[in-house]
Amino acid sequence: MSPVSRRTFLLGGAAAVASAAAALRLGSVGGGPTEWDSSAFPPPGLARVAVLRASGYDGGLERIVEDGLRAIGAEVRGASVLLKPNLVEFEAGTPINTDPRLVAATVLALRSLGAAAVTVGEGPGHRRDTEYVLTRSGFDDALKSVAAPFVDLNTDAIVERRLHSRFTTLERLWLPRSVVDADLVISMPKMKTHHWAGATLSLKNCFGCVPGRVYGWPKNALHFAGLEQAIVDVAAAVRADLAIVDGIVGMEGNGPITGTGVASGVLVFGNDPVATDTIAATLMGIEPSRLGYLDLAARFLGQGDRARIRTEGEEVDGEVVRFDLLPEFAYLRA
Amino acid sequence: MFEDLWLRVRRSLLAAQGSDGGLGPRAGLPSEPEPTALAAIALDDAQARSWLAANQRADGSFTLVGGPVVNDSATGLASVALGPGTAAERAIDHLVGMVAARVPDDPRVPHDPDRRGWAWTEGTFGWVEPTARALLGLRLRRPDDLDAIGQAIEMLRDREVSTGGWNHGNPVAFGVDLPAYGQTTALALVAMHGLDPSMERRGIEALQRLWKLERSGSLTLATSAAALRLHGAPEWVGPARELDARFARMPEDVVTLCWAAIAVGPGLDVLREPS
Repeated sequence: MSPVSRRTFLLGGAAAVASAAAALRLGSVGGGPTEWDSSAFPPPGLARVAVLRASGYDGGLERIVEDGLRAIGAEVRGASVLLKPNLVEFEAGTPINTDPRLVAATVLALRSLGAAAVTVGEGPGHRRDTEYVLTRSGFDDALKSVAAPFVDLNTDAIVERRLHSRFTTLERLWLPRSVVDADLVISMPKMKTHHWAGATLSLKNCFGCVPGRVYGWPKNALHFAGLEQAIVDVAAAVRADLAIVDGIVGMEGNGPITGTGVASGVLVFGNDPVATDTIAATLMGIEPSRLGYLDLAARFLGQGDRARIRTEGEEVDGEVVRFDLLPEFAYLRA
Repeated sequence: MFEDLWLRVRRSLLAAQGSDGGLGPRAGLPSEPEPTALAAIALDDAQARSWLAANQRADGSFTLVGGPVVNDSATGLASVALGPGTAAERAIDHLVGMVAARVPDDPRVPHDPDRRGWAWTEGTFGWVEPTARALLGLRLRRPDDLDAIGQAIEMLRDREVSTGGWNHGNPVAFGVDLPAYGQTTALALVAMHGLDPSMERRGIEALQRLWKLERSGSLTLATSAAALRLHGAPEWVGPARELDARFARMPEDVVTLCWAAIAVGPGLDVLREPS
């Protein structure tokens, strides 16, 4: 989504409410109930995803990130960018969070590519003491080393927005001002299994954009609304423009907190979060269409058809590392 | 002790107070129930109480609302902040009628479905922090309601982790024993003060470990100092000293400032059972 259309979508939401009912054409799924506003989600076109190898977090990451962003045609010049990593919890030696060194390298890469401003934001859903997670995880030091500001999305100014999709009954969502005002939002998840959703990637990562002070710690109102459906509605509201998945070391088994590290050695870049998650799930040995939320999102939010995802960099099928799955998620296996 | 910290925190909170008397989550943001209630407790501030009185809903609750999501979790704190009276009675009426949803037990996240506690948002599952807030309101504003107080205590007992203390929710998930957190353990201890000595003892022992492990978080330090001081544990000066030393670099978080003020100021007495 271009910076202009992103702002139109998010900033115009309030004004659009009054006339929405008459003006919107409504999307539908197989003749079922209407679940999204077609005018807000034009049919996705050809998506671009790049899979680049990265053996570790020390050295050379800035260049790889620059290459990845170029490979997907990311236009960042002059843009104010919000990086949304997955920063949830701290447990020494456990790869729970997007690695802070990757986030710092991304800040530098974006500046090098001409971004006007880069901010890092997260609203941790597992801990209320964001400062604790920020410091213990190494984020505080990493962001200071590149002079990048951090905003706690749990305490940011908030703006209420009407949802343009209706997989839940949430209808409206509070979003942080930092998310709404950014020209570009880049979702930066860790590549992880998830014991409720199967896998957590760039769409699920958008949960961190909604404020805990409204939705709680954890953000149980979203889970209660139907987890897979809420993932889709929240991602459709946040509408991240780009995604960078940290699969250098991912998490398998009982993710997203108490799983086991797995070295995949890849970074996945995409100009469409649905397409990015489709490729990232494939890299985990998961059949993307069996992830319920990804299947829903591919109907309107982005490109889920492999034939319409142009991949750059490594051959996807050659980079698959089969993540261990909990037994109840065996059906996800590709 | 900590007079200087108290004055600095107080000054910061007064500077964050909006012209409407309330406080937002950060200075300059619109007023919300939780920071306003905590500030009213911390500072004994009449303007903050006025904001609360003016923003109580017809059903007695204090809320943040987003579409069908109604976060009423500040209602217990507001009932404490308002002091005894009709408004607090209405708030407690709301709490008593708004226990968390009953969610069937699930072996992946075992819990007793009859120990429901209170939720962050109406109609959802119960969690430790909103249950602690409800318990605080109940015990201070309606101490005769032993059923509701007992329900809160039993919920906290059900969620206590194996090493003492609490995280936000379940002690076990997917076969893994989960750790307690300093901040949630502190809030549970503040709420249950004097109600269950053996659970409190385990919680205090846990908190004395946890705040040191989590000392990089100001909210953890502030709530830990408040809980330990309320329980008469001399170790409360440890987290308070750390707060004092780092005051200038604390995050812009009004809730953290409020708990720091409660920990070292006279507001802590508001949280004690009337003798």
